[in-house]
Amino acid sequence: MSAHATSHDDHHHDPGFIRKYVFSTDHKMIGIQYGITAMLFLAFGFYLMMVMRWSIAYPHQPLPEWMSWIFTDNWKARWLQDGKVTGETYNMFGAMHGTIMVFLGIVPLGFGAFGNYVTPLQIGAPDMAFPRLNMASYWTYLLGGLVMCASFFMESGAAKSGWTNYSPLAGFADGQIVNQWLAGQTQWLIGLVLLITSSLLGSVNFITTIINLRARGMTWMRMPFFVWAMLVTGFLLLLAFPPLEAAGIMQLADRVFHSSFFMPSGLFTKSEGLADLSGGGSPLLFQHLFWFLGHPEVYVLLLPAFACVAEIIPANTRKPLWGYKSMVYSVLVLGFLSFIVWAHHMYMTGMGAAVSTFFQTTTVLISVPSVVIITSMLISLWGGAIRFSPPMLWACAFIPMFGIGGLTGLPLAFNLADLHLHDTYYVIGHFHYVVAPGILFGLFAGVLHWYPKITGRYMSSWLNHLHFWPSLVCMNIIFFPMLLQGMAGFHRRWYNGGDAYLAKAADSTNVFGQTVAQHIDMNIWMSMGAWTLALAQIPFIINLFISWKTGRKVESDNPWNATTLEWATPTPPGHGNFTFDVAVYRGPYEYSRPNRKEDFHPQWETPDNSKSDH
Amino acid sequence: MEIPYIVTPRKDTGLFNSKIAIWLFLASEVMLFGGFFSAYVFLRLGADYPWPERTLPVLPGLINTFVLIGSSVTVVFAWASLKMRKWRHFQIYMGITITCALLFMVLKAVEYNVKFHHQAVRLTDYTVVEGHLGYEKENGEYVLDHHGRKIEENMIQIEASGLTFSTVRHHKPWVEELITQAEHRKSEIKLAADVKGRTEEGGRDDVVIAKAGEPLSLALLAKIREAHLDARAHNGALRTAGLRSEWKKAKTENPGKRGWELASAVNVDVKALDEAKKLLTEFSTVSFKVDPPARFDFKPRDVREGATQSRLRDDTVIDGKLLPSPMVFHYVDAIDFRHLAMKAVEKGQDPIDAVENSWLVQNHAFAREAWEWNKAQVAKLEAALLKDYGVDQETGKPKREPTAKERYRIDWKDFVAKSDGVDRGKGAIAVKEEFMGPDYKGREAKETFPEHFSLPREQVRFASKFTPAWNTYYAIYFAITGLHGLHVIGGALVLAYYLFFGRKMYDSNPEWLANRVEVGGLFWHFVDLVWIFVFPIFYLM
Repeated sequence: MSAHATSHDDHHHDPGFIRKYVFSTDHKMIGIQYGITAMLFLAFGFYLMMVMRWSIAYPHQPLPEWMSWIFTDNWKARWLQDGKVTGETYNMFGAMHGTIMVFLGIVPLGFGAFGNYVTPLQIGAPDMAFPRLNMASYWTYLLGGLVMCASFFMESGAAKSGWTNYSPLAGFADGQIVNQWLAGQTQWLIGLVLLITSSLLGSVNFITTIINLRARGMTWMRMPFFVWAMLVTGFLLLLAFPPLEAAGIMQLADRVFHSSFFMPSGLFTKSEGLADLSGGGSPLLFQHLFWFLGHPEVYVLLLPAFACVAEIIPANTRKPLWGYKSMVYSVLVLGFLSFIVWAHHMYMTGMGAAVSTFFQTTTVLISVPSVVIITSMLISLWGGAIRFSPPMLWACAFIPMFGIGGLTGLPLAFNLADLHLHDTYYVIGHFHYVVAPGILFGLFAGVLHWYPKITGRYMSSWLNHLHFWPSLVCMNIIFFPMLLQGMAGFHRRWYNGGDAYLAKAADSTNVFGQTVAQHIDMNIWMSMGAWTLALAQIPFIINLFISWKTGRKVESDNPWNATTLEWATPTPPGHGNFTFDVAVYRGPYEYSRPNRKEDFHPQWETPDNSKSDH
Repeated sequence: MEIPYIVTPRKDTGLFNSKIAIWLFLASEVMLFGGFFSAYVFLRLGADYPWPERTLPVLPGLINTFVLIGSSVTVVFAWASLKMRKWRHFQIYMGITITCALLFMVLKAVEYNVKFHHQAVRLTDYTVVEGHLGYEKENGEYVLDHHGRKIEENMIQIEASGLTFSTVRHHKPWVEELITQAEHRKSEIKLAADVKGRTEEGGRDDVVIAKAGEPLSLALLAKIREAHLDARAHNGALRTAGLRSEWKKAKTENPGKRGWELASAVNVDVKALDEAKKLLTEFSTVSFKVDPPARFDFKPRDVREGATQSRLRDDTVIDGKLLPSPMVFHYVDAIDFRHLAMKAVEKGQDPIDAVENSWLVQNHAFAREAWEWNKAQVAKLEAALLKDYGVDQETGKPKREPTAKERYRIDWKDFVAKSDGVDRGKGAIAVKEEFMGPDYKGREAKETFPEHFSLPREQVRFASKFTPAWNTYYAIYFAITGLHGLHVIGGALVLAYYLFFGRKMYDSNPEWLANRVEVGGLFWHFVDLVWIFVFPIFYLM
């Protein structure tokens, strides 16, 4: 490398508190910043959901003090009616719950935090290719998130048209606000554009890093599956998000410049009468652009969880990942196919048979690589000497939970079944199984797995049990009944849990009302499950902070006896990561080689220095 | 710590970092513009109105195309000069590139500016009139408003006698605007009645917060708002507590019953709370009177007008008579019946009949004359086309017929031809055609363009300048060209940075600077490429 003046030199010697912890360009610190911020957003999104669950279970009863204390009296008077959650508030919380969980919680946790911390370490790079871009990416994300959430305190309240933000509903919402820049719906769009910018910067950085900064000997097929998953995630973010950015800009224009991109002719609303718009736009266009992102986004959520679990399973079964190559090819195919399935979210729009057939076919096809990956993980357990370490507990739960989530998606792939299930709780149950006990469990596993590298201490196993088992039970209490309710026809946007459709008399001739009556009491159990789930997270939060100072110290830099490069660094890794000239000599999962005494063979160990006699 | 491959390419990939990054970034950009171009296709195919074809001035667009292509060439020369370590040449070529970018943006700005001053209106029967709005005049002098600006003759005028504000929702700049408008008309806005009520628990219910006759001010509204919010919060908390205890009672009295079985019977007793003097008075609205009643002007989009009561978007209610608020054009440069004809055909009616029965042709002498003239011209054109191209043997119809634009749109060139007495397509254009369209200020223009073309408000369905609001064509035009313009500006700024601040790096590490210019140049080529698509689809198709 040629010598030249770089701004990196000043990092070597005491960068100062601000540069080290706040405006850091170190990928590890940025990863931690992403992780903490994302977890805070997740907690906030969880809280919104708890309020919604109250409204669903007890629509006529005031929100109890333990949930409503967070609001000011003024806020309560504006958004609650006699303490009850109003439909408008429910919509607002619902839209923001979805937005926060997807865009501000899971993606930044999976891709931003784990991707940032682990990827450069696993490929043997000193940092990301563009450290300052990396920092910009985090701050843009934070700004976008804050802009979105700040709107809760505005006269208009936050966005309230679903996380999908369909026009023309979203185009009219908050239309009464004169200064549109200060309306929740507009803030949502501005926040979204900022988030897309952030993930653009992030994905460019990730892909460049993986392509160009791999250590000597780190060939493509020696890359851990984690890195492959991050590479594909990077491409999904890079290519799927921009069309939504286009849609966001157009909807923004509809709001502030009164254009009609997504507003059809002849719109009439109760409050405004005939809309003072040119019309001629296409609501369907928004749906297409949204779901062109929306579906790859599902895999942006999922792949980091796959990535974590795929690292944890070999390290805890002491055997190679089964079918590494087929998993790599599957994740590539998955990435490609995820771009051509989007309209399966839109069967209800009345698309023609040819289009619908195309999307049904691709949707069913995409289940193949997913199943290959999940099956490989399952078979990886076969015949392994499984250590039920704290991360492994979560990884083991991930497989069946994600399995339920994935398989309940198949009926939705078929037009015929989807027309019945569309917009019911079945859909909610399906994708929450994927995201909550699936993806989140995978990410919890990741936290426990890499925590010793980040802090030099283990997290408490006892607190982890206290976190894991109630979480597993509660997740199923919440989401399994959703599948039943959905098949019975419960609509996903009922703010009062079906109360309005209830047939109260046992001999009522209202058939649907009777069905609702049979299923409505499940709401209470599900809500109880949700609140208990909140309690179950407390041990985790305690664990996360207490263990930082008091956890059991790691005995070595490679506490799990794992094989990938991140365990070759000092604990915690310093600036620049590696203290030796990194070279890679073998594949990522060399466990239990018959000719070796030790049951693992790290990627970085030089062959002539092999410790077979050890 | 040092990041590898910033300057020198990695051996096996053959690329330095930023080159990978720019290609990835451009891939993302392709998807972004792809989203917009897809939107263009979607909107154009799905348009339920006549899509404006070839309405933009081609010459400036064409010049811009060559300007950008030229700059793409010079940016490569600039890069090559750096590679050859010729700083002076680099400066010259980069200078030309940035000048080209500036020229592009200037032309674009002029083009936009023309649009922003061009008014269009769609009448209730879908007749479209385009032109320039007039300004209010009295005795040949422009009437100025309270800001000292000319008053556009497109305002909704209301003679207001009363104003009722929403205490929480009123938009402060609009309140100020109303106060100054009233001052300008020598009228006063005063509180109509005492604002009074119970302001503390157990207190009297006639505590005066503001006296009748107090003049409208933001401070006054803020005071009432404060009292309202306090009362609302107080009452909300009280009612919530009441409902909670009711539920507690109901549940203990009816063990085993489910919530929805009890719900209808559990209510908070608001009346009892009020009688116990616990609830405070909320002031959700506050009414003012305008003394003497005065004329207020509102932008059409801000107000939902009614004969005796109108409502602003911030929920301010205006009591008073709606004055005739015609929309007056100073110059009309096109009358377009295409949309009307299209609607007529959809309904199975004869489009010519529909035009002749349209409000404009029926009620406007100039429009009627123009239409008759146009009809005669179209007949001549039909005959000429029949003569030149003949009849299709299979269908028995003429091979070529006048287009919808020729049949139903009468624009400024037609007005000129009509006043000059020349036939379509044969007459020289008397009005000087300027770079971006007709010259409205020329002497000839005054004789040929209809002046003071007045349209009654009730005939107006939708009106807008040629902004994104006018129709989806302009919306997507501004979106794509605007975004492209931002890319030009961004790219030019980066390249200018290399030009003006690159010398230091050139001295220490010229190869690195060359890499950066290469990456910037790649982006610049992309910006050029986008324009190559933009130009035909908006200017030519």
